[in-house]
Amino acid sequence: MPDQRAWMEILQKVGTPLISALLAIGVGSIIIWVSGYDPALAFSALFKGALGGPRQIGETILRSTPLILAGLAVGYGFRAGLFNIGAEGQLMMGGLVAAWLGVLMAGLPSIVVIPVLLVMGPLAGAAWAFVPAILKARIGAHEVITTMMFSHIARYIVSWLTAGPIKAPGQIPQTVSLTEPAQLSRIQSLFSPDVVEALPFLGLGRAHTGIFLAIVAAVGVWLVLRYTTLGYENRAVGLSPWAAQTAGISVQWTTVKALCISGALAGLAGAVEVMGLHHRIFDQFSAGVGFTGIAVALLAKNHPIGIIAAALLFGALSAGSGTMQLEAGVSQKIILIIQALVIFFVAAEGIVTWLIRKRQKEAVSGAN
Amino acid sequence: MLTDVITPDLFAAALRMATPLALAAIGGTICERSGIVNIALEGTMLVGAFFGTAVVLVTGSPWLGVLVAVLAGVAVSAIHATASVNLRTDQVVSGTAINLLALGVTGFLMELWYGHPGTTQPIKTLQPVFSFGAMGEGFLGEVWRWINGVFLSHTPIVYAAIIIALATHWAMYHTRWGLRLRALGEHPRAVDTAGVSVARGRWVAVLMSGALAGLAGANLSIEQVGVFQEGFTNGRGFIALAANIFGRWTPIGSYLASLLFGFADALQIKLQPFRDVIDVPPEFFLMVPYVVTVVVLAGVIGRAVGPAAVGEPYKKE
Repeated sequence: MPDQRAWMEILQKVGTPLISALLAIGVGSIIIWVSGYDPALAFSALFKGALGGPRQIGETILRSTPLILAGLAVGYGFRAGLFNIGAEGQLMMGGLVAAWLGVLMAGLPSIVVIPVLLVMGPLAGAAWAFVPAILKARIGAHEVITTMMFSHIARYIVSWLTAGPIKAPGQIPQTVSLTEPAQLSRIQSLFSPDVVEALPFLGLGRAHTGIFLAIVAAVGVWLVLRYTTLGYENRAVGLSPWAAQTAGISVQWTTVKALCISGALAGLAGAVEVMGLHHRIFDQFSAGVGFTGIAVALLAKNHPIGIIAAALLFGALSAGSGTMQLEAGVSQKIILIIQALVIFFVAAEGIVTWLIRKRQKEAVSGAN
Repeated sequence: MLTDVITPDLFAAALRMATPLALAAIGGTICERSGIVNIALEGTMLVGAFFGTAVVLVTGSPWLGVLVAVLAGVAVSAIHATASVNLRTDQVVSGTAINLLALGVTGFLMELWYGHPGTTQPIKTLQPVFSFGAMGEGFLGEVWRWINGVFLSHTPIVYAAIIIALATHWAMYHTRWGLRLRALGEHPRAVDTAGVSVARGRWVAVLMSGALAGLAGANLSIEQVGVFQEGFTNGRGFIALAANIFGRWTPIGSYLASLLFGFADALQIKLQPFRDVIDVPPEFFLMVPYVVTVVVLAGVIGRAVGPAAVGEPYKKE
């Protein structure tokens, strides 16, 4: 029965992530309830904070923007069999370079500054992934350890620079704000105030044009993976390095390219976050986005378009968690727990497949 | 300046700093020898440290805290064992989920129980086992000062780590358990064919690594820092994995490699007061352990080869 199998496949592709997300939220609400809070109140506050109005929807879009890019970064690596657990560090370096160059280039018009920052940020991210990439390709040093170490090093570089060499005048350790031409504008500022007043759904608060960049990047990664030699080699190495090698693909070179492209996407996430939201960097401006990117990629099973959806989910959770803490008193840390549970349920998909296989086997033996 | 840096407490600090790394690294060694990668050591350590601290805050007993930290480590690793042995999920992914869960759960409970994020109240810590004063004079007095300072100034878990390193190393090469453990990671099918349960052997190994990571967490909170602080494991679980590789997947090797990382850490702390003399920003000192880890992994020692079947789920035929 081919149609039944096709149906099963679709169910598995879209169904398991959906079920996993729902299960995770379910377990999350049990934790909220056991902790003595009111889950209904918590989730209605969460919902209100994430989707309650145009400004809240804007906040969800705002939070999802870097998550799409970080998810693409991790996902692209996964497609080559590489686990870029240190995307956070590459993201920081991308943001750092964007914030630093953006200030240096103050006075130049947008048409010059923005493209430069959008190229240099990813380059910085790629550079930060380069050493782990070479170490992986040449001597097999595990990228989980090396990218993680580089992530810690990046953290100290950012805190050193923002506290000293590129610190803005004043008490707070942060850089000078980017001037307007270097910023990605807010979506609502693309329209005149009259238009926004007439069409309230355009009042998207802090959401900025970075979301369009992120979506373009997702489509771009999808096209690359599907239609280019680069993407084909990436997938081939991810599926079986041995087979890829036999087929004449250089596993080492593909590994280096994959981790650097992954780093570039993470660097872009950092640059976009700086140009669209913070307009500067400070200690820990990255706020764990690189790590959430892991959950995003896994939930989407590394599919670039799925990553947009997964990032929107996590963006919404993140946007709503503030309201939840305020109105229901539930710590925002619950979002981390839900993220971890999502990863578990997606990864433990083995159970679902196992159940299906078992039923198929039973059906076969029953037919005999 | 040199005599201000090269002191007994520099080496004592190296032993101290090496302890949580070594315990986690030996846990990693046992786990990987059985064929299971455990990148959840970081989170397991954090959970152990948290529950250990919480128990000391309630009962005032550091020893009870240590016990609970170990049990919490075992509980966390049971999740990893279920996922990687029974459900055959990707072990690195399961480990990542546990690390995230650990950050979330400890942060959530921190706010739920203590009403604020960040750091707990200080707790009663475990004290050094011995307390000898100065003895002798002249050269002999100096020798005693070094022996006493470097080796006899420590808290219980520091000594426990050394004993555990020696004992597990011996057990790994001289007992039936050790032989089976090594076989599990190299050729699980052979173990299975010999009629020994692969799943059971791997479960035991994962739980042992959890207990050791929990003990590492206890050392951090109940012996070293005296508080629990969110995320204060600070990558130690990953450095421990590097120590395991550098130590060539042996307990004593793991301990010695941890000692190297511990020394790097102790040295950077010791050098911090001389910042003005050497004129380097403090962040550069703090980076040292991570840089050393990368350099070591970069193969100062050439290419290390791990157990053949590590990371591969085993499926019984």
